Amino acid sequence: MFSKVRAQKHHHSPSMITSLPDDFIVDIVARVPRCYYPTISLVSKSFRSLVADCCLYILRWKVNSKDRLAIIRSLPIIPCNGSYVAVGSNIYVVGSSRALNINCRFHTVQPISHIPKKMFDKAIGIINGKIYVIGDCWGDDKVSGNMLWKRVMVFDTEIQMWEQSQTWSVLYFYDVHKNKLRAYDPKQRCWIDVTGLEELLPKTACTDTVSYGGKLALFFRNNGDAQKIWCAEIALERCQGGEILGKVQWCDVVTDDGNFHMVKCLTVTV
Amino acid sequence: MSKSEKKIVLKSLDNEAFEVEKAVALQSQTIWVMCEDKCVGNEIPLENVTGQILAKVIDYCKKHAVVDGDGDESSEELKNWDTEFTKNMDQSTLFNMILAANYLNIKSLLNLTCQAVADKTKTIDEFHTFLNIENNFTPEEEAQICQENLWAFDD
Repeated sequence: MFSKVRAQKHHHSPSMITSLPDDFIVDIVARVPRCYYPTISLVSKSFRSLVADCCLYILRWKVNSKDRLAIIRSLPIIPCNGSYVAVGSNIYVVGSSRALNINCRFHTVQPISHIPKKMFDKAIGIINGKIYVIGDCWGDDKVSGNMLWKRVMVFDTEIQMWEQSQTWSVLYFYDVHKNKLRAYDPKQRCWIDVTGLEELLPKTACTDTVSYGGKLALFFRNNGDAQKIWCAEIALERCQGGEILGKVQWCDVVTDDGNFHMVKCLTVTV
Repeated sequence: MSKSEKKIVLKSLDNEAFEVEKAVALQSQTIWVMCEDKCVGNEIPLENVTGQILAKVIDYCKKHAVVDGDGDESSEELKNWDTEFTKNMDQSTLFNMILAANYLNIKSLLNLTCQAVADKTKTIDEFHTFLNIENNFTPEEEAQICQENLWAFDD
């Protein structure tokens, strides 16, 4: 990882220090607190590439068990009402149009390109390293010019570019106000109510949804019983007329502890 | 076990001989392997370590042989002793201690000495002088990196 350092040491120096193998220099750098890394990056070119090398951070975990919390000392102005998501060692802060990338490994912060259209009332999530932002945009034609429309914008973290959602998979959203499960069809660019759940939904409160394996999990509290959190697994089927039919496959209490408040439902692989 | 079997003689590069308890010397994995293999007698030649450094290594091993395995208070005391031990070492002694700890395979001493160098090396100048590294950035490159790092410097 650090093979060039030897060539860049002072060969003319009589000091015995030049006999220190490169591995130890890497070991020593791994023990220096992370807040000194910007300084170390100025020592020489090989030190700059060393602090940019992931192997150094793997070594840090081995030699320095206390260094688990990355403290970011100061930041530029963060967009207010920004949404935060993490991809790898980067945190993305997405405002209504301005967005930033905070690199927690190298302590750098960079603006990323603006969202092509200003978005309000956003929901944000990550699928396969892409940031999906769903929110309201002002219409861009004469008919819809003064109306807010739901749009999906995607930021590809690999190429660091925004694009309109090209996904053909439907995105689901639980409309708290109307107590309905709604689906956004990117192909038709429209929202559809999911049918077939008329019996289940009126009983639910404080609902959150999360999709997994082509199905949808609906977490909710039953009206009148604040102690229990329920989960319903819903299979979704596209009908010929474009309607989406939801079928409850099972529905049961997942916790009756009463100490849990649902903040956010996420799907993780364990 | 007779008295002589409990003791071992370590001989440095410059032919300085140190008689130490076997338990002290066996903290070095290298010496442990040599004794296990019975490839040496009671006198072990250490060709990569000078007498001056070996004396310090032995001090460390003696301290750790006595206190290891005792309660929490002792481990706190040992930590303080370690800090004092490396505190006044100059760079060349520290580097030679790293090399000796590596050769003798004493993991805790290697950790201690690498950490000591890390603790003494924080500024760019310290890196240039302490690790003897040449700055090969042009002033323009340096200014650009400073600009990129600006917010990270701002405490």
